[in-house]
Amino acid sequence: MKLRRFISTAVIVVMAAAVQTTMFARIRPFDAAPALVLLVVIAFARHLPAEAALLLGFGAGLIQDLLSESALGLWALVFTTAAYFVLRFRDRIEDDFSLIGPFVFGVTVGSLALFSVLGTIFGEKTLADVGLIKKILLPSLYNMVLAAMILPFATWVLGAARRRSSPFEL
Amino acid sequence: MWRPSNIDRPTGVFIGLLVLSLALVTMDLRASGSGLGSTMRDGAQSVFTPLEHVVASATRPVADFFESLSDLFSLSSDNQRLRQQVAELERQLQETASLQVRVSELEALLGVDPPEGLDSISAQVLAVGVSEFDQVRVIDKGALDGVGLDMPVIDEGGLIGRVVAVTDSVARVRLITDPTIHIAVRIERTGETGVLTGRGSGPMVLELFNTDAAVVVGDLLVTADGRFPAGIAVARVREAARSEVGFSLRTTADPVAGLTRIDYVKVLVFTRDEATIGGLEDPSRLPATVPPGGTPSEGDGDQAPSTTTTTTLAGSAP
Repeated sequence: MKLRRFISTAVIVVMAAAVQTTMFARIRPFDAAPALVLLVVIAFARHLPAEAALLLGFGAGLIQDLLSESALGLWALVFTTAAYFVLRFRDRIEDDFSLIGPFVFGVTVGSLALFSVLGTIFGEKTLADVGLIKKILLPSLYNMVLAAMILPFATWVLGAARRRSSPFEL
Repeated sequence: MWRPSNIDRPTGVFIGLLVLSLALVTMDLRASGSGLGSTMRDGAQSVFTPLEHVVASATRPVADFFESLSDLFSLSSDNQRLRQQVAELERQLQETASLQVRVSELEALLGVDPPEGLDSISAQVLAVGVSEFDQVRVIDKGALDGVGLDMPVIDEGGLIGRVVAVTDSVARVRLITDPTIHIAVRIERTGETGVLTGRGSGPMVLELFNTDAAVVVGDLLVTADGRFPAGIAVARVREAARSEVGFSLRTTADPVAGLTRIDYVKVLVFTRDEATIGGLEDPSRLPATVPPGGTPSEGDGDQAPSTTTTTTLAGSAP
């Protein structure tokens, strides 16, 4: 069962990256697209065991690094941090379901802002981007909307809804 | 009531992964575009490309639907604009034809060979960057088709970017709006030179060395000699330049290429070495420049039906 979950999670992360680079190259309301891979990390980190969630963040970030022009490891660092953040707060979110939307928005904003800062530190000149605020806020907004689909999907894939009794049990 | 999760082991793993990430970043930056990171990127791109093809085909109906929705609103105004454009282009074509005859006559008189066009490779944009911060496009032509590093990429409007990574079947193009790219340009009208720098999105920054130069809104900026072949349209001045305390005149300019919606592009078979050698030893290899007025220059009729064609550099969009 663990292997099946691992494989399905890995496949979904890779598919998310493929959809991000192809379909969302054409569907770009207000010239922005959601950060789909990050959303998948958030959705799966809600249910996975802690170490697995962190490794998922790192692995998904590494895939994004390999497909982008930024320094290798930069997105891995950001996504691992996002996964850790989800781990620390997921109990609270489960208690109050209305917080999920704003939580996804907040984690996306935080992650993209962290990438902007790290990118600038490591020579990507990310903060020099005049459209920086838009590039952070719009994907976060889209992620919040898409969370209504992706989060239940992750729950369904992991079969977590009916089984989970503690955050570290799966 | 919120209670923190078991933080001991997960936090340890988290810190370990952060350190690993930082080690990777350091390693990749030290390799500066080569080494293990570059090899892994090329490998990942090669593996990923077939999947991107499949996903692009599978999601085409969805993307088409959303695109047609957005197109619906702009269809009428686009139609009118295109009619005007066709009329204008027909007029320019007639002018160009007569100019071409005149130029040929004058060249024959002077005994000068016309400058040759550059070979180009037609390609389709396969994918975009995986995040909003990636100013890259992946095109469906690679080393096997003749695409090489540093080659300029254009569309019908003008310069899009340059090739920064190539695998056998695909290539990655960094857009001119990337903040790390600087382009040597000259104002077509006056010949004044300067540097154009991307800002991630929106208009680019133009710095001119001559602070007394007159810069008018709508001035076309074309590439000067350097990394790119001279004469490719790059941007149009957005606002009149203002002098700053210092040594340069600064303003902004909008790229003339359609950077947000790129479907088909052309890779110019040109490298900087070729330009240097060509400039010193063989002037006939230098690219044609765009004639004043932004009209397409001669040579468009020579295009062969094959993938690799000889193209005169893109002129400005009317």
